[in-house]
Amino acid sequence: MKVYAPDGAVGSPTAALAPSVPVLTGKRIGILDNTKPNAGALLERLAQRLVSRTGAVLGLVETKNAALAAPDEVIARLQSEVDLVLTGSAD
Amino acid sequence: MTGDAPLLLDLTEDDPCALMQLYDEHGWGDGLPMVPPTPERVEAMLAGTDPDETIAVLPPRSGIATRRVIAINAVLAGCEAAQLPVVVAAVRALAGSELNLRGVNATTHCVAPLLIVHGDIAQSAGYNSGLGAFGPGNRANASTGRAIRLILMHVGGARPGPGDASTQGGPAKYSYCVAENTAQSPWGGYAASIGVEAASAVTVHCGEAPHNVHDMESANPAPILDKVASAMTSLGQNNAPISSGEYFVALCPEHAAVCASAGWTRGHISSYLFNRATLPVAELRRAFGLRAWAPWQQALADEDRVSMTEHPDNIKILVVGGAGKHSSVIPSWGMTKSVTVPVDA
Repeated sequence: MKVYAPDGAVGSPTAALAPSVPVLTGKRIGILDNTKPNAGALLERLAQRLVSRTGAVLGLVETKNAALAAPDEVIARLQSEVDLVLTGSAD
Repeated sequence: MTGDAPLLLDLTEDDPCALMQLYDEHGWGDGLPMVPPTPERVEAMLAGTDPDETIAVLPPRSGIATRRVIAINAVLAGCEAAQLPVVVAAVRALAGSELNLRGVNATTHCVAPLLIVHGDIAQSAGYNSGLGAFGPGNRANASTGRAIRLILMHVGGARPGPGDASTQGGPAKYSYCVAENTAQSPWGGYAASIGVEAASAVTVHCGEAPHNVHDMESANPAPILDKVASAMTSLGQNNAPISSGEYFVALCPEHAAVCASAGWTRGHISSYLFNRATLPVAELRRAFGLRAWAPWQQALADEDRVSMTEHPDNIKILVVGGAGKHSSVIPSWGMTKSVTVPVDA
């Protein structure tokens, strides 16, 4: 006998991951702090390490609500002012 | 927009345990036996409606919830065809941007979508709005809530781990569906009270499990509602640091009757709770380094008191349950708003 699979088709993703930056030297690093406890400290420390090791520069630091998508204007500023963004910290 | 037809798989026999074994291999199911979704059962569930109509696209998987896919999961959950319109409407509600399903599915909190069924279909499709409405013993409540969870897991991808980061999970994630007890509501139905004029409707409120409110002795509204306010002010609930959060207050018929006999409306109750469900600002500042407060709340001094939500309209009043004097408070997850939609029966 036959039964259906329960998951259905997958729609188009709303966004695709950007390709990795192969060399960080001279690149501008941004931070998108989701304001979870210690997220800012963690991301800033990580950015500082990358700056000191690779010659990248720290550009823009933005914040967003952890439970909501970043506003369009925040994404637009990051797109225009930095080459890569550090983000993502859970509880 | 339409989705591709779901795959058909071979099942050795028409048996829930065989289906569990087959589905296990794909990471499907909620851990309980399910009804095998044969094409015949799914067609009967669809009852002639357009199977390829896309009702919603559900994150994080971006799964396309067509009517057929919804019906498959409704069969799995044990629904009857009479309940499918509620499941379909609830999926529509889940896709409302204000509900923030991506966040609901992704959070470490224990949030689950509570379905509240309103109007004619509550009776015609056999939902329980009375004694034990939040509990077991009624097929419509149990299977409708379960169908939504299965849809979230299968279509939305909200499986514990990759798509659902809830630290402890929660029993409400198995099934969470009640009907409003409109017959014993002194104020009419909830859906109409917020402007959804339909013979049948469903509300989806993404919240915690019910917090009990027990009052056996009070003959006027204030002492009962003070206990409701007490249940709304626990520091551990997710709404505590988030002022946009909602509270559904499910009054039992006897508590509702006490309020109504004193002339209190829904609005009076919400306003009273807005003023009584408060905590000292200093206590909340001490408890939470991160607070999502409205600007006017941010400006309060430590010695002030602050309401648990930024507006009385975020305190929703309805009647659920049977005889006895237990009501409940269902706080939201915080960054979500309830959605009420008509049910096309």
